[in-house]
Parts: sequence; C-alpha cells; structure tokens
Amino acid sequence: MRKKTYAMAALFAAAALTLSACGSGDDSNKPVADVSAEAGSGKAATVLDNPFEKPDLVLTDTTGKKYDLRARTKGRPTLVYFGYTHCPDVCPLTMNNLAVAKKQLPKTEQDKLRVVFVTTDPARDTPAALGTWLKGIDSDFIGLTGDFATIQAGARSLGITIEPTTKDKNGKVVSVHGTQVIAFSPKTDAGYVLYGEGATVDDYTKDLPKIAEGKTP
Amino acid sequence: MSRRPSRRAGLLAAGALVIAASGTLSGCGSDDSSSSSSAGPELKVTGAYMPAPSTDTMAAGFFTVTDSGGADTLTSVTSDLSDEVTMHATEDGTMREKESFAVPAEGTLDFASGGNHLMFAKLTHKPEQGEKVSVELHFAKSGTVRISMPVKSATYNPKTGH
Repeated sequence: MRKKTYAMAALFAAAALTLSACGSGDDSNKPVADVSAEAGSGKAATVLDNPFEKPDLVLTDTTGKKYDLRARTKGRPTLVYFGYTHCPDVCPLTMNNLAVAKKQLPKTEQDKLRVVFVTTDPARDTPAALGTWLKGIDSDFIGLTGDFATIQAGARSLGITIEPTTKDKNGKVVSVHGTQVIAFSPKTDAGYVLYGEGATVDDYTKDLPKIAEGKTP
Repeated sequence: MSRRPSRRAGLLAAGALVIAASGTLSGCGSDDSSSSSSAGPELKVTGAYMPAPSTDTMAAGFFTVTDSGGADTLTSVTSDLSDEVTMHATEDGTMREKESFAVPAEGTLDFASGGNHLMFAKLTHKPEQGEKVSVELHFAKSGTVRISMPVKSATYNPKTGH
C-alpha cells in the first residue's frame, strides 16, 4: 500500500515539474511534453485535481467586436490555447490537431464546442490577421486579441507563463506561446483537463467526445 | 559528452524514422565531396518534411542532419518557396531566431517539431500536401546540401508517420 502511495506521489511530482517548467527558459532542449509522456503512461490528458476557474477575459474577436470569454462560452465545452500566428510550428500544429479532432465529433457536438485561440502577440495579431490565419485552420475557431497585460494575466491564472514579443540584441524577434491546451467543462465551466505540446490529433480525437460532455477523458 | 549510449539511442531512433519515411525521401541523401578528409564532416540529411501550412504567409520545415565525421555548422538555408528562410530554436515555448546551428562531430542536429525549426516566410505560394519543396542547407565546411522536402498533412507526426 505504502509503496503504491509513493509511486503515485512520484508521478504527481513529475507532472508538477512539467508544469512549473513551462516558460522558464532554462537550458533543457527537450520539449516539456516528453517528460509528461514518460511519466503519464502514455496518456496525453492531465486531469486536474484543482480545476482552473475560467479566466475573466474580455478581448476583441476576429470581427473586431468585444468578446467576453466567460459569457460567450458559458455551459459549452471550451478549449483554450495561447499562441501567435507568426509561429510556424507548434501553434498551427496544435490548432490543426484540434480542428481535425473536432470534425470527428457528431455535428451537434461540433456546434457546441468552442475552440479559442488567444494571441500572445497582440501587436502583430490584429483581428484581421487572426481571422485570416484561423480561416486556414477552422473558420469556426474563435481568435482573440487585445491588451497584452490582460492576456498575460488571463494566461497566468491558468498556470501559463507568456512574455511580450521582444527583439533581442541582434534585432531578432523573440516570441512566446503557451505549451498547453486547457479544456473547460460544459457542466462546471472549470478548466479541468490539460494537454501538453505532445498531445496528438489521435489523443484529441479520443478525448473530445468525453470533454463535450464534461466527463473525465 | 559522456552520454554516448543515449546519443546512440537517438541515432537508432533517427534510423528507424528514416526507414519509415524512406518511401517519400528518395531525394534527401547528401553525396558530399568532403568525405575524403578523415577530420571532415560527413553529413546525411534525413526525415525532412513540411507540415502543410494554413496560409501562404508562413511554413515550418523539419529534418535531421547526421554527421559521421567531424563537426560542421549549418549557417543558412535557402529555398524556391521563400526568400526569407530563417532558423529558430524553441525552448519551453519561447521561439528565438538563431544565426547558425552546430552539427556535432559524430552526432546529430535535429530540427523537430517543438524544438528547432526552419521558418519560411512570405511564401511564393501555399504548398499543398504531396508537393515537394526544394531546400538548400548551407554548411560552413560541407557546402550546400540540397534536399527535397515533402509537404505532409498539417497534423503530421513523424513518430506515428501520419
């Protein structure tokens, strides 16, 4: 019994480590998701013991109109990701994974699901730029932009660290995207499941039917 | 440097990948002239792919350079698809452009999703899945290695091969 408890504790510690490492800019070359993949017995989803409250974000959508995240996604299964469109790798991969998985849900479930992409680079990601980019992925996805400090605070409330896009001493652009997708339950509106960068289209395809009903994947 | 077994494991994994992807990668090997010198780098580029981009503004590219000789440096990348090909390293979600990447002696340089990537900006057109993009990798010692980079699905995962 005791041994089991320790094993569980170790697992939990490993999971906690992967979370705290996000955005800390240390010298590890390996993607954070690799660690959780090893620790989590092949499961992409981390079900949170202490779910996140949905951030109180009021931003601007791709049509230039005000979008109140809590009000507009209330009672709907919602997936939130923080990224930017000048990101050729992980951001489009993550959003395309969600788009492909979504299309495998029954139509009624697809219509209920909200997928929200919040930019971490609002200076470059105008509503129009976000709209063009998301249209190439899934025209039903919601893109939000606005004041960076507001976005950063919203991300932080979900344990996601982002920094403003800056230029380094050589004039090269340095940008930051989140490494997690947070799933919010339609039942409680709480962020109860977290996916790391290693989550594949198959993982999302398998889990979305459960998330659509607020069940544990 | 002391972790030789793990590097070998990485090489084996890369080898497995090559086999898995070999059907589409016929044009990817590099036959370089530098092999005569024992201290010179001996490069091989494998596993190249480009996820189909969402727009014509930006695309990523991935590949592995395996060096069975001395060290080299990847100094720049060019392509017909874009006049602006840059090299980036991503660490914990932070993407930084880099001027060059070291190719370690008897080691590998990986450009893999979530880590290092090529960034093609302002594309001449939006490449579709099934297309091949011509890419030239320029190395300090080995010179130019031309590869044919197949365009895969936007959700392509080299680990699963789909």
